[in-house]
Amino acid sequence: MPPKKNKKKSEDGPTVTIDFEFKKLVEKVVDGTLVNYCYQCGACVGDCPSARYVEGFNPREIMLKVLYGFAEELVGPASPAWQCTNCYNCYERCPQNVKPVEIIIAVKNLMAQRGIYPAKAQVGDLVNTVLETGRTAPVTAMTTKLREELGLAPLEAIDTAELKKILE
Amino acid sequence: MANENHKRFAFFPGCLIPVRYPQMEAAIRKTLPKLGVEVVDLAGFTCCPDPIYFKSYDKTAWLAVAARNLAVAEEAGLNVFTICSGCTATLSETYQQLNTNKNLREEINQRLARVGREYKGTATIRHVATLIRDEVGIEAVAASVVRPLDGLKVAIHYGCHLLKPSHVMRVDDPDDPHILDDLVTALGATPVRHEEWILCCGKACKHEEAPAAMMYDLLKSVAAVEADVLGVVCPSCFNEFDLGQVRLARQYDDESLKTPAVYYFQLLGLAQGLTLEEVGLHRHKVRAPALEKYAAAAV
Repeated sequence: MPPKKNKKKSEDGPTVTIDFEFKKLVEKVVDGTLVNYCYQCGACVGDCPSARYVEGFNPREIMLKVLYGFAEELVGPASPAWQCTNCYNCYERCPQNVKPVEIIIAVKNLMAQRGIYPAKAQVGDLVNTVLETGRTAPVTAMTTKLREELGLAPLEAIDTAELKKILE
Repeated sequence: MANENHKRFAFFPGCLIPVRYPQMEAAIRKTLPKLGVEVVDLAGFTCCPDPIYFKSYDKTAWLAVAARNLAVAEEAGLNVFTICSGCTATLSETYQQLNTNKNLREEINQRLARVGREYKGTATIRHVATLIRDEVGIEAVAASVVRPLDGLKVAIHYGCHLLKPSHVMRVDDPDDPHILDDLVTALGATPVRHEEWILCCGKACKHEEAPAAMMYDLLKSVAAVEADVLGVVCPSCFNEFDLGQVRLARQYDDESLKTPAVYYFQLLGLAQGLTLEEVGLHRHKVRAPALEKYAAAAV
């Protein structure tokens, strides 16, 4: 195969095609060009609870895939993004201020835009509940009973007209 | 409390606490006035919105809704206090991002202009634990105690979003935090560290087995130090430790998983002389028998 621009032959692996466009999509969601500063040190891995409990989950590898632009692996049905616990340990540890968890959240945003993410039902339901009621959790008969028992005022319905306008 | 110590803050209740765990709201409303803090209810707040799912769906929309909430507090001329670590994370991050990124602020304000509001960046956000440490002081918390919780061993779960990212949250050292230990000590109780004290509750991880495995290790570690209660400041973590612990004990067939989770302000209420019922402790799935003797003690 003749060498092409943007193509790199690795020493011991297959040819890698880098997709710079995907990184730009990620950068639109997070503040700035954070991922470029990742030098693959792996500081994000040591304290990552998902790396400890989920076989194959590795935030450093997720950053590498963003740098390479392996979009299908990141925003496809087998994406590792939803296995992140959002604990922010990687954000604390990263010496380059890459904020890996924010990159992972940006990947989730891209999945949401494509409607192909594993937690679709849960996320979609929650966003709709907020839009309709102003809250993530609906007020139930149990809510009213518990509040009365504790001497708290009943919860009023929230007017969501403003929410709908700012989210149009 | 003398008038010169009177402090007013906008109360941001969030969703989970007022809807599912109103005992935590009751504890806040019944304890803060004794510390000289006036809890001001404002009309117009919505969901913060939640920092996991809503933010994962559309970060710009998430910032816009949060900025609208902060604009409501700004219009009232008040700083905000939150009672849930998730709300604290959302509002603190919004404050930090919009106060340092002019373009982003303009983009968000274009949305808020549709409803006649503007985010100005003037209202600060504090989690109630941070608020009482910084605005009331640990000594004043101790001074409000009429029924010391002497001998009560409290394992503490700081959770993730109270502390991290530390430069945004500005609460404590995320590797060696003391805020909750100090607040527990102020009640006469004894904070105890356990091996997995820093582990995440795992709630946001969408994997078939990992969240249960995380929680199991965490709760085994809590059980190992034989704490009387597990102190929390976040309703999401609480849910994992209360109903979640009952489920896990069944799943792993492990009777040692029975450390009752309590919200810090319920303990404060008890120490200030309130009854178990007044702070709603009788409604928890995992009951806390160790607290009954304190509740029975004369005030």
